[in-house]
Amino acid sequence: MDQTTPQVAWKKGNAELLILSLVEARPRHGYEISKLIEQRSGGTVRFHVASLYPLLYRLERRGWLQGRWVEKSGQRRRRYYRLTRQGRRVLASQLRGWREFVVGINRITEAENA
Amino acid sequence: MPEWKPEILRRLAPLKLSSVRETEIADELAQHLEDRYHELLASGQSEAAAFRISIDELEGEDLLARGLRPVESDWHREPIAMGKDGDDFFSGILQDLRYGMRMLRRSPGFTTVAILTLALGIGANTAIFTYIDAVLLRPIPVKDPRQLVVFNWSAHGHPDLHGHSDYGDCANQADIGDCSFSVPFFKTVRSQAQAFSGMAAFAGPFPVDLSGNGAASMVRGLYVSGDFFSTLGVNTFIGRPLALSDDSSSAPPVIVLSYAYWVRAFGEAPSAVGRTVRLDSTTATIVGVADPNFTNLTPGKPLDFFMPFSLADTVRGKWYRNQDRLSDPANWWVVMLGRLKPGVSTVQAQVAAATIFRNEMLHGAPPFFKSEDAPALTLLPAQAGLIGETRQIAPALYIAMIIVAFILLIACANVAGLTLARSAARQKEIAVRLALGAARERLVRQLLTESVLLSLVGGALGVLLAVWGVDAISKLLSNSPGTPLQTIVAPDWRVLAFTIAITFATGILFGLAPALRGSRVDLTPSLKENASSLPATAAHAGRRFRLGDALVVAQVALSVVVLIGAGLLVRTLHNLHSINPGFDPQNILLFGIDPHLAGYTDQQTQQLYSNLQQRFAALPGVISVSYSEDALLSGGWSAGSVHIDSAPEKEYANTGKLAVGLNFFSTMRIPMLAGRNFTSADFASAAATNAAGKARDAAAEKAKASPSASTPGSPTALDEAYRRSAPVPLIVNEAFARTYLVKRNPIGLHMSDAPRGDAEVPDPGPGYTIIGVFGDTKFAQLRRKTAPIIFLPLVSNGTHFELRAASPRALVNNVREIVSEAGDNLPLTDVRTQTEQIDQILFQERLMARLSSFFGALALVLACIGLYGLLSYEVARRTRELGIRMALGAQRRALLRLVVGHGILLVLIGAAIGIAAGLGVTRFISSMLYGLDANDPVTFAAVAILLTLVALGACYIPARRAMRTDPIVALHYE
Repeated sequence: MDQTTPQVAWKKGNAELLILSLVEARPRHGYEISKLIEQRSGGTVRFHVASLYPLLYRLERRGWLQGRWVEKSGQRRRRYYRLTRQGRRVLASQLRGWREFVVGINRITEAENA
Repeated sequence: MPEWKPEILRRLAPLKLSSVRETEIADELAQHLEDRYHELLASGQSEAAAFRISIDELEGEDLLARGLRPVESDWHREPIAMGKDGDDFFSGILQDLRYGMRMLRRSPGFTTVAILTLALGIGANTAIFTYIDAVLLRPIPVKDPRQLVVFNWSAHGHPDLHGHSDYGDCANQADIGDCSFSVPFFKTVRSQAQAFSGMAAFAGPFPVDLSGNGAASMVRGLYVSGDFFSTLGVNTFIGRPLALSDDSSSAPPVIVLSYAYWVRAFGEAPSAVGRTVRLDSTTATIVGVADPNFTNLTPGKPLDFFMPFSLADTVRGKWYRNQDRLSDPANWWVVMLGRLKPGVSTVQAQVAAATIFRNEMLHGAPPFFKSEDAPALTLLPAQAGLIGETRQIAPALYIAMIIVAFILLIACANVAGLTLARSAARQKEIAVRLALGAARERLVRQLLTESVLLSLVGGALGVLLAVWGVDAISKLLSNSPGTPLQTIVAPDWRVLAFTIAITFATGILFGLAPALRGSRVDLTPSLKENASSLPATAAHAGRRFRLGDALVVAQVALSVVVLIGAGLLVRTLHNLHSINPGFDPQNILLFGIDPHLAGYTDQQTQQLYSNLQQRFAALPGVISVSYSEDALLSGGWSAGSVHIDSAPEKEYANTGKLAVGLNFFSTMRIPMLAGRNFTSADFASAAATNAAGKARDAAAEKAKASPSASTPGSPTALDEAYRRSAPVPLIVNEAFARTYLVKRNPIGLHMSDAPRGDAEVPDPGPGYTIIGVFGDTKFAQLRRKTAPIIFLPLVSNGTHFELRAASPRALVNNVREIVSEAGDNLPLTDVRTQTEQIDQILFQERLMARLSSFFGALALVLACIGLYGLLSYEVARRTRELGIRMALGAQRRALLRLVVGHGILLVLIGAAIGIAAGLGVTRFISSMLYGLDANDPVTFAAVAILLTLVALGACYIPARRAMRTDPIVALHYE
């Protein structure tokens, strides 16, 4: 696994947080999730099919997400992922942890650069 | 449009997912790639480039599988589209089972009724099969029973023999022939045939008067050859078995006890071995107790001890007078067994033994057959050859098995009906599954799993019922004295295999039709709400309920057949019970004694009988006392031929013969029609004639044995004396007079015995004089036609006493006291009342009547449950329709008619089919019937009426519910 670039390492650690936060507001399907990640990161973070869906299924398996086939008029059916009650709690604690981490990092880096 | 799915599926393949899950993932991923592809096209990429970029999302060949593996490996496969085809058969079955259990728990009412119904059906079958197994299928309790063969002979003509006895061990397959041979022939085969590693012979068991261990009692002793135990491979529990040395006439008399008798009579005391007992008047030593498993060789013939053939002259020897049963080749009375040498087939052994047999029979001294008689010898496996009493019980058991098979079919139809009604209710569930892509085969499998699950639970409960049922039948059997069935009944692996087999067969049988029908759902209407109550689906529902109707019709038809059978058997028993036997069987105590076994002479016997008669008569409550050689209706009888003086030469009258004591006719209340009754003088005269006859016979035997010796009374002088004695006075019954003495006054007529053996002229004895005519009585069996009987004064032999008293059972202890005071070593046998005696000979009829009426009632109840279930379901399903009808002004009465009419129509169709089937099948039990035809119209009509009445009840409850339908509620229904 020599392709461990900083970006990849970053993804591995935080992909769950990204996905959970993206479906917090409303249920989304897999393609939509991958597009949003790519857009909002300005193209720096990208999930391919081969890595996104195993992750989705794992989250679903843990009971944090719930997938449901939805057929909308004029569209083909898609599987939408919704945040479960448990997922919402996990997201909250992960966000808290992330923010504390960011604050900590900022303090360190600001102190060094000041 | 590019095809994404093959690309995805190829990458998923290594995961070996269930096809449901695989398709689901492929759908989702394909949609993703599709979206990506369209987006790329929209951004101006060429189709080829868009495709390449999209497919790159899958990132090589194995990344997807690697990512999915940890997630999917323990994916909990909740069945989203239950019944969708799975790859893994067993995981599918487990899934089916889990789901099935959930479904059954969800409808406890249905589940309870179905399980109980199945438990009854399976339990009844298991119980009866347990009996069939115990009586007919269990191997005989010897080592390697397959190696053991029994000898049978057959011929076209009768052999010329001095004596020929058959103790009911074999089935007579040929007109002439059985499995009795002489002891010399047995010894010849034993010394000449090389095919056998061992030979054995046995005969009996015989009733023997055993004393020296508490009160004297009658026990059953089997004569066996010395090699009996070694050939059979039977060991002793304690002590030693009999050996070849015990066969020698100089050997000290020894016996081996059966385990059961040792427990019963010696209380398992090990000291019994070594003790001596008296058998009749011979003292013998007990040397061993046989293995507990070795109860008896021929089924249904229990025995108490084994004695070597060397005792044959002293124990029960008197029965055979002076004939030498051990060395006379013309006395056939023992059953021969051979154990095949390893590697020798039955056919090879038979060829060898048959050669010896033909040689001995045709060219021996003396020859027994002419060559045109074609005497033949066959060897049968002991298991098949020694059938004994089973031939008496086997037909009853087979008929019972057929009846319970019918019960199981009814139960299956019943549960199938319930399942069908339920699968109609589950229509929507099934339609959803089909819509989600479930395969029909898989749905059928799911539904079958549910029904097999039901039948497994039913089967388990059925086994419990069977244990109880076997117990109940055993009690029924043991309540009747002298039952022919004394087999240890215990389930074994055959019973287990049978039950498991019928349980699965049942589950598949009742589950298949509803499952096939259930999986054939029309999706569109089923998925609509309230589909079942819409008139638009009436045609659809109508089609479904034709199968439901058919199942009810089948149940009714099957139960009609069972009920008709039961009705015929019950009426047979009733007919037999209401036969007038020609005497009054109430309030009579019967018991047997045999003073000859204790060494009494004829004269002593006579004195003992009249002494006992007087003392019994003096007992309080005794009305009158008599005795006879056989008790009436005991199943035993003797017969002979007489020549009436005025009849043409060689025209003999065949008649039953019964020797009776004084007051026999008044005690049995048989009416006198003409002439007079026996008096004491008649007995004295008969005794004198009998004594003269015996003296002549004894002298003739002696002269034959040693022709040169001179004896005090020469045979010719004794012959003269015998011929000049007074004719024996006798009484004939009405049937005798009617048959042989038409339009003649029988009183005073003289007759003589038919000639014995080859003599051409009637025996020149003093003959008989008819002194009276009495009313007809049944003799041996109730079923037999009233036959001619002659009654003689009883002047020798064992006897059965008849005591008429107000409460006969209360006299038993007094009677025992009197008998033991009057004579030592005199055991009482067969103490019973005359009505018990009749019950005993009607044993099979009673068993059949009870079993069949129990099962008939069961069949009726099951059919009614089926009918009730169907109609209840109908009413519930049509609540809305009934409400509309009522709202439109239908009378409640009309609704009642609607529901009841439907039920009764089904019942009538079922009854008609059942009666037609009954007309066809009842002839199979016609040999068991008495006093009515197998197609007895009264029985058929009674069954039809009974069924219709009970069915009306079953229809009425759901019909009343329909009648009480409130239109407002009904229209809001669902």
